[in-house]
Amino acid sequence: MSHVWLPCGDYHQTYEEDQGWWQTTFIKTKMVLLLLVVFVGIPQFLDDYWISVGTMVGYTAMGALGVQLLIGYAGLITLGHAAFIAVGAYTSTLMVLQVPWPQFMIDWGLAYPVSILAAAVTAGIWSVLFGLPSAKVKGFYLILTTMAAQFITVDFILTQYVSQIGGRGQAFSLPPGTIKIGPWIIDTETEVYYTMAVLITLMVIVLANLLRSKAGRAWVAIRDNDIAAEALGINIVWYKLLAFFVAGAMAGVAGAFWVSNTAALSPEHFPWFWSLWLVGVILIGGVGSIHGAVFGSIFMVVVMELLQMAVIPLSIYYPKLLMDFAFIKDMAFGLAICAFLIYEPNGLAYRWWQIKNYFNLWPFSY
Amino acid sequence: MELFLMTLITGILVGGNYALVALGWVLIYKCSGVLNLAMGELTLIGAYVTLTFYQMGLPFVLAVVGTLLVGIVLGILTERIFLDKLIGEPILAVIMVTVGLSFFFKGLVEFIWSTDTKVFTPPVFSMEPIALGFVKVSPVYLWSFILAIVLLIIFVAFFKYTRWGLSMQATADDETAALSLGVSARFVYAAAWAIAFMSAGVGGALLGNINGVNISVGHLGLLVLPAVVLGGLNSVPGAIVGGIVIGVLQNLSGSYLDQYFPGGVKEIVPFAFMAVFLLFKPYGLWGWERIERV
Repeated sequence: MSHVWLPCGDYHQTYEEDQGWWQTTFIKTKMVLLLLVVFVGIPQFLDDYWISVGTMVGYTAMGALGVQLLIGYAGLITLGHAAFIAVGAYTSTLMVLQVPWPQFMIDWGLAYPVSILAAAVTAGIWSVLFGLPSAKVKGFYLILTTMAAQFITVDFILTQYVSQIGGRGQAFSLPPGTIKIGPWIIDTETEVYYTMAVLITLMVIVLANLLRSKAGRAWVAIRDNDIAAEALGINIVWYKLLAFFVAGAMAGVAGAFWVSNTAALSPEHFPWFWSLWLVGVILIGGVGSIHGAVFGSIFMVVVMELLQMAVIPLSIYYPKLLMDFAFIKDMAFGLAICAFLIYEPNGLAYRWWQIKNYFNLWPFSY
Repeated sequence: MELFLMTLITGILVGGNYALVALGWVLIYKCSGVLNLAMGELTLIGAYVTLTFYQMGLPFVLAVVGTLLVGIVLGILTERIFLDKLIGEPILAVIMVTVGLSFFFKGLVEFIWSTDTKVFTPPVFSMEPIALGFVKVSPVYLWSFILAIVLLIIFVAFFKYTRWGLSMQATADDETAALSLGVSARFVYAAAWAIAFMSAGVGGALLGNINGVNISVGHLGLLVLPAVVLGGLNSVPGAIVGGIVIGVLQNLSGSYLDQYFPGGVKEIVPFAFMAVFLLFKPYGLWGWERIERV
């Protein structure tokens, strides 16, 4: 069964055809339009504020993709993903600042791209380290180990030790011009946005390809029933650790990207709150689909911005509302998670799928 | 040697509070199989509600009683509004609702009480250390330990001897069988949440006396997670032993490891311990080991 609706009488002959991405002209047009909007429409026609909102959506989605892989596809619940993002961010920063790069690498702008790769690998390995208990435990107990990852990594190792490197104390800051990809110095909102757009596109491609490979099928089998998967000859420990590695690597890239956005780094950027936020994002977007991670990020970031705009007029009467907006945001987010789980447990991605089906099957929707 | 005994005893005393919060955790898990990640925020709410009552001029004991009442109301409301609709849904969904609740409560607490540290003025317990044999401890620790133990005994007795407690145990053991015997599962869940709110609330009130009340009381509430894991997620005695062990471990590492790893080693050791412990004994000391079949 193909995952797209085809005109009556069109059949696929091979598995490759069946798993193809852009199968019909309509889908091709739609995807090209989407890419145009992402790469041209948003950065060229919107003002800086909305571009920065777009960057935030992208950053959230990068983190959420890794969480989606772990929770939605491999069934490994993680509540410590911010730790791996932090590892990526710190690896990248330290490499850019501390490694004695040869002059030609700085001239050609290779330092930051190399540090992104290194961040991915480091965060992946770090994630595997905390994924090790998943060989033995699952469910609640795995939640607890990933929480331990968060507290040990961010609140202890990064805050107490890594932050001391270079003798600056709490935070690192990157001097302007250090974040350079090839000939481009990343310092305006638009350039940061483009970095984000390229990275997220690459990550979606990698993840989508992994998911239709042997590894992806193994993950889904483990998620659905790990004992049955083992009986089918899937090496579940290996694939669980692989899922942790890939998710950690994605978190690492997200972290390395975050550095380019803020040009400063401190452990407060990666609280436990952010790990929970990412899980909330995929719950709202829909568990078990890449769309879900992206929809969830768009929904959370944009809705929160709109909420802030709605609060501004009210703040004339209740100034406390705007002052304590961060707290209102927490409350709204908590309620949104609860409401989605109670009333729309399949998330926005499911709703999107229903809408698509409605139009695909129209006018005979049966 | 004196340092050792002192940290040991302080650890045991603080552990009593952890045991109280851990008990709330275990109760909910036992009754409904839900890991309640909002426990830290419940502790926080308890601390602030007690503080508010106390600032209004009520004596501390009455303030705690008031907190218990507020806890019952909030617990039942939470269960009815959010969790009742999820009976029969996958457990993960319910756990995530508790994550949502934790965000909601945290935002609410910060919105109402802001984030500054507040202390109980005038102090509830005197600052003069009390001599226990040849070890001196601060009365805050001692009294909160005594109160925690008293409440623990009350909760355990409630479980063992009252009709409601027995029906909760029955539901935990086998929900279908309990239903067929006329136990109302909805009532049991509401009661479990009410009790969890109460025990977390009192735990928060006592912890708030030690270091003042601010958002970090919620982190202390999370610190009981290792305690719960150590004892086993569904064992009441396990929660108590686990709480005390974690309290001791935390204080010992605070006084002995701090010189080697400066900084917040005290907050981290329980979690590091938990991560390693899970590798070797995933079901805790007295938790039920589940044998899974396809």
